[in-house]
Amino acid sequence: MTESSQPLKLIIDGQPVPFVKGDSVLVAMLRNQHHPTGGGCLCLGGDCPHCLATIDGVAYVRTCQVPARPGCVVACTHHAHAVPALPQTHHVEPTTNARHQHADVVVIGQGKSGLAAAELARTAGQTVVTLDAAQGQDVIGIYPGAQVVARTTQGMLIVHVRQEIIVATGAAELHPVALGNSLAGLMTARAAQQLQAAGLSLGRIVVINDANRLVRFEGESNVTAVVVRDDQGLEQHVGCDTAVIDLGTTPRNMLHRMAAGLPGVRVSVVGDAATNSDVPNCPAHGLVCHCSQVGVADLQSVWDRGFHELELVKRASLAGTGTCQGGVCLPYVRSFLANKGGTLQPAFTARPLARPITMGEVAAGGHHHVTLRTPLDGVHRAAHAHMERAGGWWRPWNYGDWQAEYWAVREAVSIMDVSTLGKMLISGPDALTLLDRLYPTKVSTIKTGMSRYVLLLDEKGYVLDDGLISKISDTRYTLTFTSGGATTAELWVRDWAESWGLNVRILNQTMSLGAINVTGPLAKELLARAGLEKPPEFLSHVEAHVAGIPCRIFRLSFTGELSYELHHAAVNAPVLWRTLLDLGKSLNIRPHGLEALLKLRLEKGHIIVGQDTDFDSTPRRIHHEWAVKLDKPDFVGKHAVLRTNKVSLDKILCGLSMEGPPPIEGANLTVDGNYAGYVTSATWSPILGKTVMLAWLKLSNDLAPDRVMIDGRPAQRTETPFYDKEGARAKA
Amino acid sequence: MPKLDRFPLTRIVSTPALLDGIQTSTTAIVMRTAPDELFWLGSPAAPVINDPHAIIEHDTSFVGTWLSTQAATAWVSANCEWQLPTTRPVFAQGEVAGLPVKLWIEPRRMLVLVQQPFAADLGERLQ
Amino acid sequence: MNEFIEQRVSLTWQQPKKSYDVVIIGGGGHGLAAAYYLATRHGITNVAVLERSYIGGGNSGRNTTIIRSNYGIPEAVRFYQRSVDLYATLEAETDRWVMHKEKGMIGLAHSEANMRVEKARAAVNTAFGAKTDWIGPDEVKKMCPELDMTGGGHYPVVGAAYHHSGATARHDRVVWAFAEGAMKRGAHVHQRIEVTGLQIAGNRVTGVQTTQGDIAAGAVLCAVGGHVTSVAAMAGLRLPIRTHQLQAFVTNHYERTFAPILSSGPLLFYVSQTARGEMLMGAEIDRQPSYSYRSDYKFLQGCAFRAVTLLPFLRNLQVLRQWTGVCDMSPDYSPIMGQTGVEGFYITTGWGTWGFKAIPASGEQLAAAISTGKTPDLIAPFSLDRFALDRTMADRGSAGTH
Ligand SMILES: Cc1cc2nc3c(=O)[nH]c(=O)nc-3n(C[C@H](O)[C@H](O)[C@H](O)COP(=O)(O)OP(=O)(O)OC[C@H]3O[C@@H](n4cnc5c(N)ncnc54)[C@H](O)[C@@H]3O)c2cc1C
Repeated sequence: MTESSQPLKLIIDGQPVPFVKGDSVLVAMLRNQHHPTGGGCLCLGGDCPHCLATIDGVAYVRTCQVPARPGCVVACTHHAHAVPALPQTHHVEPTTNARHQHADVVVIGQGKSGLAAAELARTAGQTVVTLDAAQGQDVIGIYPGAQVVARTTQGMLIVHVRQEIIVATGAAELHPVALGNSLAGLMTARAAQQLQAAGLSLGRIVVINDANRLVRFEGESNVTAVVVRDDQGLEQHVGCDTAVIDLGTTPRNMLHRMAAGLPGVRVSVVGDAATNSDVPNCPAHGLVCHCSQVGVADLQSVWDRGFHELELVKRASLAGTGTCQGGVCLPYVRSFLANKGGTLQPAFTARPLARPITMGEVAAGGHHHVTLRTPLDGVHRAAHAHMERAGGWWRPWNYGDWQAEYWAVREAVSIMDVSTLGKMLISGPDALTLLDRLYPTKVSTIKTGMSRYVLLLDEKGYVLDDGLISKISDTRYTLTFTSGGATTAELWVRDWAESWGLNVRILNQTMSLGAINVTGPLAKELLARAGLEKPPEFLSHVEAHVAGIPCRIFRLSFTGELSYELHHAAVNAPVLWRTLLDLGKSLNIRPHGLEALLKLRLEKGHIIVGQDTDFDSTPRRIHHEWAVKLDKPDFVGKHAVLRTNKVSLDKILCGLSMEGPPPIEGANLTVDGNYAGYVTSATWSPILGKTVMLAWLKLSNDLAPDRVMIDGRPAQRTETPFYDKEGARAKA
Repeated sequence: MPKLDRFPLTRIVSTPALLDGIQTSTTAIVMRTAPDELFWLGSPAAPVINDPHAIIEHDTSFVGTWLSTQAATAWVSANCEWQLPTTRPVFAQGEVAGLPVKLWIEPRRMLVLVQQPFAADLGERLQ
Repeated sequence: MNEFIEQRVSLTWQQPKKSYDVVIIGGGGHGLAAAYYLATRHGITNVAVLERSYIGGGNSGRNTTIIRSNYGIPEAVRFYQRSVDLYATLEAETDRWVMHKEKGMIGLAHSEANMRVEKARAAVNTAFGAKTDWIGPDEVKKMCPELDMTGGGHYPVVGAAYHHSGATARHDRVVWAFAEGAMKRGAHVHQRIEVTGLQIAGNRVTGVQTTQGDIAAGAVLCAVGGHVTSVAAMAGLRLPIRTHQLQAFVTNHYERTFAPILSSGPLLFYVSQTARGEMLMGAEIDRQPSYSYRSDYKFLQGCAFRAVTLLPFLRNLQVLRQWTGVCDMSPDYSPIMGQTGVEGFYITTGWGTWGFKAIPASGEQLAAAISTGKTPDLIAPFSLDRFALDRTMADRGSAGTH
């Protein structure tokens, strides 16, 4: 058989059914005596909810708008509460793609007035995009930007409009409101024309062109007669197979209403969509809103109970809240209310979507938020590290054995990827001025070649971030920030530099540089093996080669052990990492992840901004007053600190320790049965043989209790650091 | 997935006026990423700038790929909300496919650059 | 006949008078609940609620209707738990169907860091009467079989905090129940009257100026949602509030019952099913402050993308409607309730993206504050002066969504 003689078939409720090329799914269904929803006046214009069916698994699709395709599966049963099979759980790609386009003018609707408007714009030399539902371009919404978004046969299209949006969507035909208006066999005049043109027989036809004469439709499921009032006011039964509704039109102006008032573009409406036709009379009986099954009696009921505003009537009666979003019922609801209240209320807010589309379609072009990867990401994964998202980055949580990692730091040597740290270079004649105003420390007392741990405060005097300032020369400094805080910090620094009009150059190097922390009692030995003869002293920094790679080496310590932080060009990170591991083999080196680090730093009582601090952490509350020099000239947050220092202290971040296993982070503290705060960080300390914690503790009468209960167990307030109080190991 | 190459470059941060005065080259790619910063990629090396405070840093963290005009147009139109400039060659930057990219657009091809932390996602999203 | 059509509420409108004991600005949930509790708990009925548009037309009719008490600090847990309890009895008390339904809420964790946060929250919640358990992946899957436990291969579900009293109710019906209850007892609710100024004598508020003339008042409560800074400015107050957009959208009917409220912090997405079977979704506020009510496509696209990652079945549901509200965001993610320093001028604000659940408790407590002149203990921590006194109620458990 040749292809052309093969009958085209789609599947309706499990049955293969032939259709003719050019049919919409609806026409194909009607051709075969199927009626999608069981009744209601069909419009074939995409306006009404009467042709809804489930197509290829998507429910509530307007079948008049979907071209019939061989093999497409249609189910008319979506309203029968059929429970679909549970969806599979695997990664789902969006069902379509999305494209962006830019134009001076968008014309929506390509009827006579739309064509003319587009032509006019083109002759004026403007770039024009035209969209028309009949050509498979359904405009679903008009958004700020201005953007006109359409579902097209090639996927989603987002048109960015520079000058004008012209709405030429024509007019929709009015539906009848009368008893029996949800029978099958009702259709608008245009629909009837289209069906006849498609070769469907409509049987005996009655045309209704005067709403005032229409009394009701009769029939079981299909219309068999129309009852009309004759000139004498007498009811006449007219037998029929099809009732053709020719009651005039109502402007299809939803998109115009949606777009009106958008900043930055002109919005106009032309043609039939622009007509301000009167609303039809609302009869006393019949269904008004078919989507939500709202009858005139329901409108009357809510009206009688004080729901008079159109928006309230909509919400109380639910008219206009279904698939067609008021397309069919709005003119009648307005007219009903005008009859009752004496004024015609404006149409309700036109919200997107103008036409429903699936979430799969909407999702097209969406992306996940990126989780950043360090230059060592591949190296960690190759080492089978357990990777976690933390502070916006993928970071190794452990490499399989956090305890071994922990002990490598405490007893031998270990390395950690700290490339995620925020890193910034500041240069310029005003560099010192900028930093002195930004930070609460006296930056002027940092000597060249030295570093200092610093807090960064916001205007409210609350801790924003912490990090390190290192002085390279009188006019050049490097800054570090927490991994999660780096982006905010960059904006913060630039914003102030600009506000103060300072002469500085700023370079964010967070992603440009890799950073590896070498830590443990044998760190110096390892670096010696890597060729570093003169490692920096505690809190100083040098530029030198490590394993042949140029680095800036900072000496500080977060783990509590002798530590060197090596900052280097990102490209060199893998080589440096591998070389250090090789050179450290006989020192029992192993890399450590975040899990071990969190414990190591907690033994030292080092806070993590964001974990141990809250939105309202003042330096005083977290015992960092030493980091704030109130005797220096103004700095960001100074006024707030001066003010809040006068208020009594209500809570502090303090160290706690207890026997036995750690509580969960977040566990409550109680004193005499009363809530007294909560744990922010807790770990079993392998080296101390007890649990150590940081916690927010409430003061009572300006005093912090010495003992608290956590989950029914006593804990003791303990000075931090818990481990190596003098810091001898870090300074070794 | 297209292979992403490293594009080592020099970043120069200085005053807008001094950067305005830099002599660009016909062989190197010079991208003015901000009023106070430019990227210099390729040879000859970046000229010296008369600013003792300038920050001049070699940066090895950018990776990317050259796309044909056809591939570039398809990718950009599917993933970019803003309109690319029409002059050639030209530098543009902004969000494409949810990533902060820098684009160098020549008559017949386009260079797409991101910083390393975004590289894996760029690879995926270029498909 | 649709069972969801409102059948019983009856609203009675009156002509405005020249003077009331209490004038409430804003006919959202908070304003109407205050009127209701003034009438029912304190017998104060010479009250007018002035609404510039229609009742519930602000955020109270735009929200995603989630009711929960799993906040991050004891003061907040206590307060919201009070509201959860009032909600649970609201239908019985008002004899109106507000479609209240306890569903339980699943707060998904996708990483170690998430897990830590969710567990911490469960601890403080449970300690203050808002029962919340940590549950493992298997149990999550049992409660929500639709979930893709791999999170589209990107966001594996490692467990969840399960908040037992998570619930939803139909927002409009809550608004109407309070409005009707207040009206029935004599309070006036006036629509289409906008307050344009405040009358202040000395340091005391004496009335309001409106688009329909001046109205004298013994006390004034400002409950105007996202427009609070401009109304407070009429009293010379500068509030630490920024107004931000929050958007939401709804699909058409899903044939199955989707039982719980599901929320994912890292994916910035939450969903529940309405009584009518629609899937109702939202995300977080727009970072840029704005008073605009316009929705944008990028939000819809991004949120839908993340949603189908977790719940693949959503892909085939059709989006019916999206909309936007403007939220009054406080710097510490906690509300501001009570006196303002201008005598007789009370405020309820800082409801941001989470104030629907607070409607009954806020109404009840403010009614008490206004009628007695004393601030009830439950809301004392949330006073406006806490910012000046460095006693903010920093609440990470609130964190800016639903
Ligand atoms: C999309 C979205 C989702 C949300 N989801 C949730 C959720 O799931 N759970 C939750 O608990 N909360 C949620 N919220 C927040 C919640 O909706 C609000 O916090 C709450 O409704 C606030 O109620 P309100 O009465 O204070 O304000 P509104 O309901 O906004 O009422 C204020 C009223 O004041 C009127 N008004 C303003 N100015 C004047 C004036 N000058 N004169 C007279 N009247 C005036 C306005 O017209 C308005 O009707 C959500 C919010 C949005 C926008």
